Amino acid sequence: MAAAAESPSSVRKVVVHLRATGDAPILKQAKFKIPGTDKFAKVIDFLRRQLHRDTLFVYVNSAFSPNPDELVIDLYNNFGFDGKLVVNYACSMAWG
Amino acid sequence: MDVLHWDGTISVKYFRIGAFAFAQNWENHNSGFPPWSWVCPKHHWLASPEEKGYLSWEKICISRPNEEDVDQISQIDTREEEISCPGNEDVIDDAILVQSSNRELHYYDFHIVYSSTFRVPVLYFRAYCSDGRPFSLDEIEKELPACSAKELSKSKWTFITQEEHPYLKRPWFKLHPCGTAEWMKLLFLSDAAKPKFEVVLELYLLSWFSVVGQVFGLRIPFKISN
Repeated sequence: MAAAAESPSSVRKVVVHLRATGDAPILKQAKFKIPGTDKFAKVIDFLRRQLHRDTLFVYVNSAFSPNPDELVIDLYNNFGFDGKLVVNYACSMAWG
Repeated sequence: MDVLHWDGTISVKYFRIGAFAFAQNWENHNSGFPPWSWVCPKHHWLASPEEKGYLSWEKICISRPNEEDVDQISQIDTREEEISCPGNEDVIDDAILVQSSNRELHYYDFHIVYSSTFRVPVLYFRAYCSDGRPFSLDEIEKELPACSAKELSKSKWTFITQEEHPYLKRPWFKLHPCGTAEWMKLLFLSDAAKPKFEVVLELYLLSWFSVVGQVFGLRIPFKISN
C-alpha cells in the first residue's frame, strides 16, 4: 500500500478525495491532506460547511459508512487505495 | 441480478440469508461484543414460513465515557475532548459499548426486522433501566449523539416512530425505513468496481447497520467488512 504523505513535522497526513454522488454538488476543492490522527468528524464537518448542509450521507468504499469518531489513519489503512482515501458524499439522505 | 439496475431493496429470502451472514461475521470479528441471534417465533401464524424471524441484540449498554470507564471495553481516547470545528460547542459524543457493569446503566434491545412493504431491514429498538422501566423517546433523545438528537427535533415523526413490534405486539420504537433503499443503493453503487450480487448480499446488513448504528453512536469495527 502506498504510504501517506509525510510532512516536516512528521505527523503522518492522509490524502482525502471527496467524491460527490447522487445529486450532490461537486466541490471546487475536493482534495486535501489531513493529519491521520484527526477524527473522521473533521472531514464530515468540513463537508457540512462547504455544502452549507447539516444532513449529509458520507461513506467510503466497500459500502461502509464510518462512525465520525474513527481516526482518519485507520480509515485510510482499511479503505484507502492508490495513496488516498476516497470519501463519498450525498445530500439525498432521508430517513422517512 | 443486475447490480447496476438494483433498487436497493432485498427479498425476504435474501434478508434471511444476509442476516445469517451478518450474525456470523459479527461473531467472527467482534470478540468484545455480544452476538446477534436469530429469533424464529413459533406461533406467528400471520406470516408465511419463510417470513418468520428477526435478528436480536439485547441488553446492550450504551453509556457516555467518564473517568471510571477507562478500564472498560473502550474504542476511544477518553482523555481527549474533541471540538470538531471552530465555534462548534458540541463535544463529540463517544459511545462505549460495554457488556456488563455494576452501575445504573441504560439498556437497549435492538431487533432487525424485515419490512415486506419497503423490502428492507428495519431497526426496532427500546431502552430501559436495570429495573425494567422503559424509557420514553424524550429520555432516549437525551442519550443520543448530538446529530441524532438534532435530526430527531427536526423531523420528529419521520425519523423515529413508535409502533407495535410486528412479532412481539408491544410498542417499540423504530427507525423509519422509507429512505433506506435509496441510501443502500448509493452505498453499493458508488464503488468504481461494481460489486457482484453475492458480495452485495453478504455485506448488505453490515453496510445497513454501519449507517443506522450511528444514530446511537455505535461504532462498528470495520475489520468485518474486509
